[in-house]
Amino acid sequence: MAIDGKIIFRTKGLTKIYRSGAQEVHALRRVDFQAARGEFIVILGPSGSGKSTFLNIVGGLDTATAGKAWFGDRELTALDERGLTRYRRDHVGFVFQFYNLVPSLTAHENVALVTEIARRPMSPDEALALVGLSDRRDHFPAQLSGGEQQRVAIARAIAKNPEVLLCDEPTGALDSVTGIRVLEALTQVNRTIGTTTLVITHNAAIREIADRVLRFADGRIVDETVNAARKSPAEVSW
Amino acid sequence: MIPPLRRKMFRDLLRLWAQVLAIALVLAAGVATLILGNGAYSSLHETRARYYDSYRFADVFADVTRAPRALMAEIAAIEDVLAAEARIVKLGLLDLPAMTEPGTMLLVSLPEGGARGLNRLHLRQGRLPDPQSAREVVLSEGFARAHRLRPGDSLAVLMNGQRREMTVTGIALSPEFIYALGPGEMMPDPRRFGIAWLPRPGMEAAYDLESAFSNVVLKLAPGASVDRAIEALDRLTAPYGGGGATARSDQTSHAFLDAELRQLSAMARILPPIFLLVAAMLVNITLSRLITLEREQIGLLKAIGYSSRAIAQHYLEFVLAIAALGIVIGLAAGVWLGAGLAQLYASFFSFPFLVFTRDPQIYGVAAAVSAASAAGGALFAVRAAIALPPAIAMSPPAPADYRARTGFLRRRLSLRQTDVMILRHLVHWPLRTASGVLGMAMSVAILVASLWSFGSIDHMIDVTFTRAERHDARVVFTDTRPARAAYAMRQMPGVLAAEPFRAVSAQISHRNLSRRLSVIGKPETPLLSRVLSPDLRPMTMPEAGLIVSEALAEALDVRPGDRVTVEFLEGARRTVTLPVSGVSLGYVGLGAAMELSALNRALGDGDVISGVGLLIDDAERDAFYAAAKDTPTTGFVTVTALTVARFKETLAENITIMITVYVALAGIIAVGVVYNFSRIALSEQGRELASLRVLGFSRREVAGILLGELVAIVLLAQPLGWFLGYLMGLGMVSAFSSDLYRVPFVIRPDVYATASLIVGAAALASALAIRGRINNLNMIEVLKTRE
Ligand SMILES: Nc1ncnc2c1ncn2[C@@H]1O[C@H](COP(=O)(O)OP(=O)(O)O)[C@@H](O)[C@H]1O
Ligand SMILES: [Mg+2]
Repeated sequence: MAIDGKIIFRTKGLTKIYRSGAQEVHALRRVDFQAARGEFIVILGPSGSGKSTFLNIVGGLDTATAGKAWFGDRELTALDERGLTRYRRDHVGFVFQFYNLVPSLTAHENVALVTEIARRPMSPDEALALVGLSDRRDHFPAQLSGGEQQRVAIARAIAKNPEVLLCDEPTGALDSVTGIRVLEALTQVNRTIGTTTLVITHNAAIREIADRVLRFADGRIVDETVNAARKSPAEVSW
Repeated sequence: MIPPLRRKMFRDLLRLWAQVLAIALVLAAGVATLILGNGAYSSLHETRARYYDSYRFADVFADVTRAPRALMAEIAAIEDVLAAEARIVKLGLLDLPAMTEPGTMLLVSLPEGGARGLNRLHLRQGRLPDPQSAREVVLSEGFARAHRLRPGDSLAVLMNGQRREMTVTGIALSPEFIYALGPGEMMPDPRRFGIAWLPRPGMEAAYDLESAFSNVVLKLAPGASVDRAIEALDRLTAPYGGGGATARSDQTSHAFLDAELRQLSAMARILPPIFLLVAAMLVNITLSRLITLEREQIGLLKAIGYSSRAIAQHYLEFVLAIAALGIVIGLAAGVWLGAGLAQLYASFFSFPFLVFTRDPQIYGVAAAVSAASAAGGALFAVRAAIALPPAIAMSPPAPADYRARTGFLRRRLSLRQTDVMILRHLVHWPLRTASGVLGMAMSVAILVASLWSFGSIDHMIDVTFTRAERHDARVVFTDTRPARAAYAMRQMPGVLAAEPFRAVSAQISHRNLSRRLSVIGKPETPLLSRVLSPDLRPMTMPEAGLIVSEALAEALDVRPGDRVTVEFLEGARRTVTLPVSGVSLGYVGLGAAMELSALNRALGDGDVISGVGLLIDDAERDAFYAAAKDTPTTGFVTVTALTVARFKETLAENITIMITVYVALAGIIAVGVVYNFSRIALSEQGRELASLRVLGFSRREVAGILLGELVAIVLLAQPLGWFLGYLMGLGMVSAFSSDLYRVPFVIRPDVYATASLIVGAAALASALAIRGRINNLNMIEVLKTRE
């Protein structure tokens, strides 16, 4: 394990059980995990293996059934609704498959939406520049391509200077060329501002751009690979 | 087997029950007001008609000073007269130990044939007096109830200055006194005014009217000309001091009742269209959203072979089901409230029975109109649904494009992004925003249009009783008296000042317009009973001309400088032409004032007066009342404070009920509009709002965005609502104004504020109902799915 500095995430015995009627779905089974500050981690695994559930719990969107999760020395699993909101607001950036931009706001305004409530944000223009969209700042989502919308979503996620960036299949809805551009944006951010980044993907080829690759199956982490040298997305063959 | 589409409709109704109910309630309010107003109106109208008919209410009424009974043969021979009845009708003064303040009793002789004749009594208790008895009397029910008098009890009345002890034999109602207004009063007060029916002999003796009469009533053949009968009657009675006959339409009780009924039917016309319009708008925005959400389903249905017609029918059925719910609730509420309202009127006025008319036609109309307005609201939404080609319907709608109308927003001040979202959303859906604003505005308008009456009544009382009629009491003599009678009054206990007046009934005409009223003669500069100009300045009486009230000026179409013909109906019955010298303010009845001596000159009389207005020392009030009662020349006494108190009391009762109903109705609209509006906004923006929660916005901040949109709607609606309310108020003023009274149109600023507060509160309540849904937005679910 690459624990060469400060640990930013830690989970111990993290368990999530969904109950619907008599049925129980074990989405996570006692997951133990650690991530170091600045790491770029790729999460792979078949559909339904618990990846999203895991990301949502460490991102403060969902609560665990059992086990514990820490962000730094703060215990996430002990926070209430208000505390989780605070945590998301101050420390976490999210990127999802379906961009979730506000259609009534321009690219610049979508980013400003977050910088307005953040503690130590970068300027919206700076964030857009980081994802290479400076020239699109006054466009509405309806005027942008899917890849551009996703890059706006990334800019919005990183504009608050979050400690962590959590991405759930950010390229899932994009063609590969556009997907590469989005991943480039993510690695660019990771390198420039050192944001710890967790990316869920179905595309195994992405593993080469990561510091570390986790594989989920049936609610557990079943495999872990550490890359000695990261490739840039452009070098990856898809 | 229920077809699948119909099953879907029922499930939709259940799923959207709160919105469905909110729309149905607005529709129900429209149906209910329609049924209620029409039902109460037609019930009362019908009740009155039957009452008049079964109790033979007269068509023509005339007072004379003293006419021989022999004249009756000639009167009965007037063309088209079915029945003529000679009566003795006089005012007596109440002499009740429990009541120090002055009260008046109208004494009416009973026909000799017992219960036959015109204006028959409806006996509630006891029996009619023995025709030969001089002591037995039947009392009007309201008066008897106010004094807890029952058959067997006794009471004393001053008749022609003599105190008479009488025994009550019965309690009765009469079609002649449904609205029992005492002389010189503004509202019926059963405590201080009652009617007593006595056998003729006792009255003859008391008033020295053996073989004579003082009042005659006629029943005419159906379709007969009332004007011609009146003309003939006036010719016959003129030599005997006839003051001119009046038709039923001018009879006090009938005229006031009529004015009330007219107001009722006016309300039944003003309110329902508002509710139906709002309901149609709600149906439209709700259904449009539903169809947007079901776009893909519609495409699928078409792809598997459902016709556009079947799909249109499905949504129409959905809307008609809502309409049916609204109609059922509205009919039930309308019938129930209508019966209650009619009962309320029936007990305020004295009806012996109440006829509930159940006019199926009005129910049919209400149902059809409501269903039509709901279907009308659905029309455009459904048209959009069936116009979609299946292939396009099944692909998701293009993302909302905010390019077009937002240019001006870029030049915004320093708005937060969340405020920009609110603004753009409002601008992007102009029709929906307009519907919300108009709906809210309607509920503000309804409140403004009902609440203004308080201020208006205060204004009316202030002008009438503290600025114009400033006397504490007024004594009207039995007959005209020499002017020095005023000095005698000045000597009575407690009297601080006395101001004489003369009242003469007259017919005033201008071109083909004419009105009957009392011309009042006043000192040149009246101090107690003043005449005010429209700008509230006291006016001095002109040397020769008339000052007419605004109502009379309008009725006769005259302006200062015009000349009017005044036909006096008393004494020598002179006819003169007089200039109109000025127009005065006046809210009660028609008014015409002159300088006292000019009036006497015009009449050809000496220096005489009809009565005096008085300032009374509060401490000696009771002594004054007693002295006035004991003075034989006292016809009746009115006390301003009692008149005002009764006026306020009666209006307060009626208005409180009315306001309660209006506030409830306005609340229904406000809640219906806000609730539907916010549910739709939430459905549209739920995804955006959930994303904001993911980004770290708190529940409060996210709720703030949706509520901000509502606040914008509510705020935008206020000025429009005030304006619409003002217009509705204007409409009501003209519907309510008659020759009997005019309503001043005064809207105080607090009316607008109160209306806005009530609507704001209703909006807040329904917004809070939405808040739970905002708090429970499922962030994760939203992120997994594409819209
Ligand atoms: N809200 C939910 N209710 C019930 N089961 C759920 C819910 N969310 C996820 N699951 C189940 O939990 C398991 C893990 O889901 P998820 O974390 O989304 O997997 P992944 O992201 O790896 O595809 C799956 O079996 C899924 O069906
Ligand atoms: Mg997933």
